[in-house]
Amino acid sequence: MYVSPIREPLIKGQKTYSQITKDIVAPIEGKPGKAWYMGLTLSLSAMFIGLAMMGYTVWQGIGSWGLNRTIGWGWGITNFVWWVGIGHAGTFISAILLLFRQKWRTSINRSAEAMTIFAIMCAGIFPLIHMGRPLLAFFVFPYPNTRGLWVNFNSPLLWDVFAITTYLLVSLLFWYMGLIPDIGTMRDRVASKTKKYIYGLLSFGWTGSVKHWQRHEKLSLILAGLAAPLVLSVHSIVSSDFATAIIPGWHTTIFPPYFVAGAIFSGFAMVLTLLVVTRKALNLENYITLSHIESMNKIIIATGSIVGIAYLTELFISWYSGVEYEQYAFLNRATGPYWWAYAIMMTCNVISPQLLWFRKLRRNLVFTFILSIFINIGMWFERFVIIVTSLHRDYLPSSWSMYKPTIVEVGIFIGTLGIFFSCFLLFIRFFPVIAIAEIKTVVKSSSEKITKNES
Amino acid sequence: MKRYISAYFTDEENLLSATKILKEKNIPILDVLTPFPVHGLDKILELKDSKLPTVGFIAGAIGTLFAFGFQTWAFVVDYPLFIGGKPHFAIPAFIPITFEVTVLFAAFAMVFAFLFRSRLGFGAKNKIHDERITDDRFLIIIDADEKDDHFEEVKAILELEAAHNIQLKENN
Amino acid sequence: MNLKRLIIFNSKRIISLYKNHRLMDNNYILSRKTKLVFLTLSVLGILLIALSFLLENPGSKQIWMNILLNNLFFLFISLCGALFIALHKIAHSGWHVIIKRIPEALSTFLPFSAALMFLLIFGMHDLYHWSHHDLHDPIIEGKSAYLNQPFFFIRMGIYFAGWIGLSYLLRRNSVSQDLSEDQKHHKQGRILAALFMVFFAISSSTMSWDWIMSVDPHWFSTLFGWYVFIGLLVSGIAAIILVIAFLKTQGYLDFVNKEHLHDLGKYLFGFSIFWMYLWFFQYMLIWYSHMPEETIYFAQRLNGFPILFFLVVIVNFLFPFLALMTRNSKRNIKWLSMVAFIVLIGQWLNIYLMLSPGIIGESARIGFIEIGSVCLYLGGFLFVVFNALTKKPLLCKNDPFLKESFHYES
Repeated sequence: MYVSPIREPLIKGQKTYSQITKDIVAPIEGKPGKAWYMGLTLSLSAMFIGLAMMGYTVWQGIGSWGLNRTIGWGWGITNFVWWVGIGHAGTFISAILLLFRQKWRTSINRSAEAMTIFAIMCAGIFPLIHMGRPLLAFFVFPYPNTRGLWVNFNSPLLWDVFAITTYLLVSLLFWYMGLIPDIGTMRDRVASKTKKYIYGLLSFGWTGSVKHWQRHEKLSLILAGLAAPLVLSVHSIVSSDFATAIIPGWHTTIFPPYFVAGAIFSGFAMVLTLLVVTRKALNLENYITLSHIESMNKIIIATGSIVGIAYLTELFISWYSGVEYEQYAFLNRATGPYWWAYAIMMTCNVISPQLLWFRKLRRNLVFTFILSIFINIGMWFERFVIIVTSLHRDYLPSSWSMYKPTIVEVGIFIGTLGIFFSCFLLFIRFFPVIAIAEIKTVVKSSSEKITKNES
Repeated sequence: MKRYISAYFTDEENLLSATKILKEKNIPILDVLTPFPVHGLDKILELKDSKLPTVGFIAGAIGTLFAFGFQTWAFVVDYPLFIGGKPHFAIPAFIPITFEVTVLFAAFAMVFAFLFRSRLGFGAKNKIHDERITDDRFLIIIDADEKDDHFEEVKAILELEAAHNIQLKENN
Repeated sequence: MNLKRLIIFNSKRIISLYKNHRLMDNNYILSRKTKLVFLTLSVLGILLIALSFLLENPGSKQIWMNILLNNLFFLFISLCGALFIALHKIAHSGWHVIIKRIPEALSTFLPFSAALMFLLIFGMHDLYHWSHHDLHDPIIEGKSAYLNQPFFFIRMGIYFAGWIGLSYLLRRNSVSQDLSEDQKHHKQGRILAALFMVFFAISSSTMSWDWIMSVDPHWFSTLFGWYVFIGLLVSGIAAIILVIAFLKTQGYLDFVNKEHLHDLGKYLFGFSIFWMYLWFFQYMLIWYSHMPEETIYFAQRLNGFPILFFLVVIVNFLFPFLALMTRNSKRNIKWLSMVAFIVLIGQWLNIYLMLSPGIIGESARIGFIEIGSVCLYLGGFLFVVFNALTKKPLLCKNDPFLKESFHYES
């Protein structure tokens, strides 16, 4: 297929196939540097703090958290939605960009998909531990039981159970099926007998046969076709946790697509946070080029603008509706006791990504990294603002109260950050960060290497 | 005792032209092994279209019927309750779970069908012809049992397309 | 002949075909026969409307509803033409370049849309309850800072100024690119496209609140703007498919192949699903919370127009979903056109259902005047669009993505 010369090359450095394999496999074959060990130590420490706090929560009960009436959801659900949102970028890159034939996704999809799986794992912790009796968590599944009860299929909280479970499992399947050929590469390269055996088992006996590739491509395309609506449906269902309620600020029809746009927005920010560092640390700058960074930034400005428009729409319609409770809800967000959270949210989500209209900034690594952190902070505050401001002041002023997290809740959140980064660091140590087989398919069309026919 | 000719290429363009010529001359090709899916190869080999999409559709349809049917039965027949003023047969409320289960069934069915049909799985032992197939070599395996002396003919064609390591091998 | 020689031979053929097209210029000629067809459509429309006056006695509300309905329907298709160009330009899309003259032609109807929409000045009292004075309705009074006639028409002016201005500049940029190989036109085009996207993002929502949502002045839905937008997008894609199909039957556009159709088919398929997604969530969230000030909207429609209510979902989602699922269905121009045509009817019915319960009420029925009005508008719309197609060569030149578009594989 012809690729216009106006497009930037996706692989720089005149790489041959075997050079590509070498470059991507090098971090796995070599020994990790000090930075990796330091990073892992830090994140594992954070993880253990979190596990301790989770244990304390299960032992003492939810009273160890800052939740009270009327704010029944605070940091816990904020974190849940934040993590699920981050996960969506991986599936967006793998599935939706595949359906749109965006070749530049090939160097980032593997790590983005891994990020999705780790993010969903972190997200899933919160519904589990925020239950009064987490050891009875299996009650959420509709199995015939001695209580003679079924689960509440009408509840969005249960829709979440199905949505998150499906999302985790389908993401795992998609990620793993794509990994199989690359594990085959690992199996065929490693010298040590143990490693060869383990990678051999994990490679499922992959041979590279043309019939297998044909099926594999078809499978990837259809899994992409299935995962793409998952990106939309899962976060829409999560948004339904709020939108199906009746309190102002929560009950609003724009939530499903607005949450999805926000999820892709924060997810891409996290992908950039991870990859700006990873590409440098693992010497993959020829594969995750500035052009890739710029494309991701473009998606960030697009989705960030959609989020901004959603904010403006909500503000306008709250006035337009004439409902005094709606109007107060937004007035309270901007001027009430949590105005500072609202200000952070607006600055980080609406104002700062607009700087990406400038090409120079889109291609600047330091700016990208800092902005990606700001966006994730902003998106965390968006969920916090939505959840807490609507809960702490709804219809009845005599019920108005305030919420403050306890050290236990903060600790759990830090713990999930620890789990996430530990998993990611382990991932880059043992698995290829870039989809080796996939990126080879774009060499002929989109790399700097001169092909045989261009003479 | 199966005998076969194996050879490898370092560029997929050569592989494609060699395969085309071999196919035109009706020389039986047993398999072609590549480090990545080569565009156009399955058309040249006249491989039948994969039926995975059909598997996915049917499994998904089963998922839809199962999820919607089960919720309906549980909430209309088995244990109808008034929850939040919703009707027992709360169609809009049943849709999200129905959709998710559809996707789940379709995805799993296709993955299992893929692994089963390709004989891939945890601990599967398939013959690895060349460890560099997963790196940068494109291998072709041609049947040598039927016509004993077409080795020279095949060798000539392969050499024309810059093939390497053309060998006659035996399966044991 | 080995594959290498085959590729070189074919490349030379493709390059010579490409060069021939540059020489031929692929100019569309609007034949008398085609003009006659369009005229007949409009005349048929007028006849049906006349028949309606004789038999059905439509009131002023119904007449104005039809004007608004068709204004919106054809505006959406036209606006989507400009949107299609702008969106693909900022996404650095290459495949669409070969068909870009078609959406450009669609966007030429915008000035006519503007004229037709400003006609509403005469129908405000029939269409919009809030335009009456002394209603003693505190809810409507609360919105009067936004919903008042002067501001309404100022906004209308701003919308059309932006849409017409930017779509004109985009078309002019396209022509500049044809005439000169200077890459600066490509860059300028991107800036225009970005400006259009920003303006469109805001105006598409506000125009839907102004013209459609305010028909039910007590009701509101934050998703409404985006829900109308996706209907606009689906209609536009369907219209592009139909125009391409028509041109192909007349022997033009032979460089548009199955690969390009496949992508348009994918769009129709995918965006129909997205339409359903937004329809479902708007409905489900309002159904779930069961707040009377919101549910009245759907209660009116579900109870007053039950067949139409479900028909809209079946025609706009279930039908394209099943009909366009397979790969081959999206590559067959006859099948694709048939689906596109039916989806367009579905989107028209969608707008009908958004407007008529609020304007006319439960007694609304689709009659001769509805069908006649569509025919009248359609004849005029097609004439404007196909006339625009004659003004520029069907195949653009000098676009850096043109060769990529020729060799595109979906």
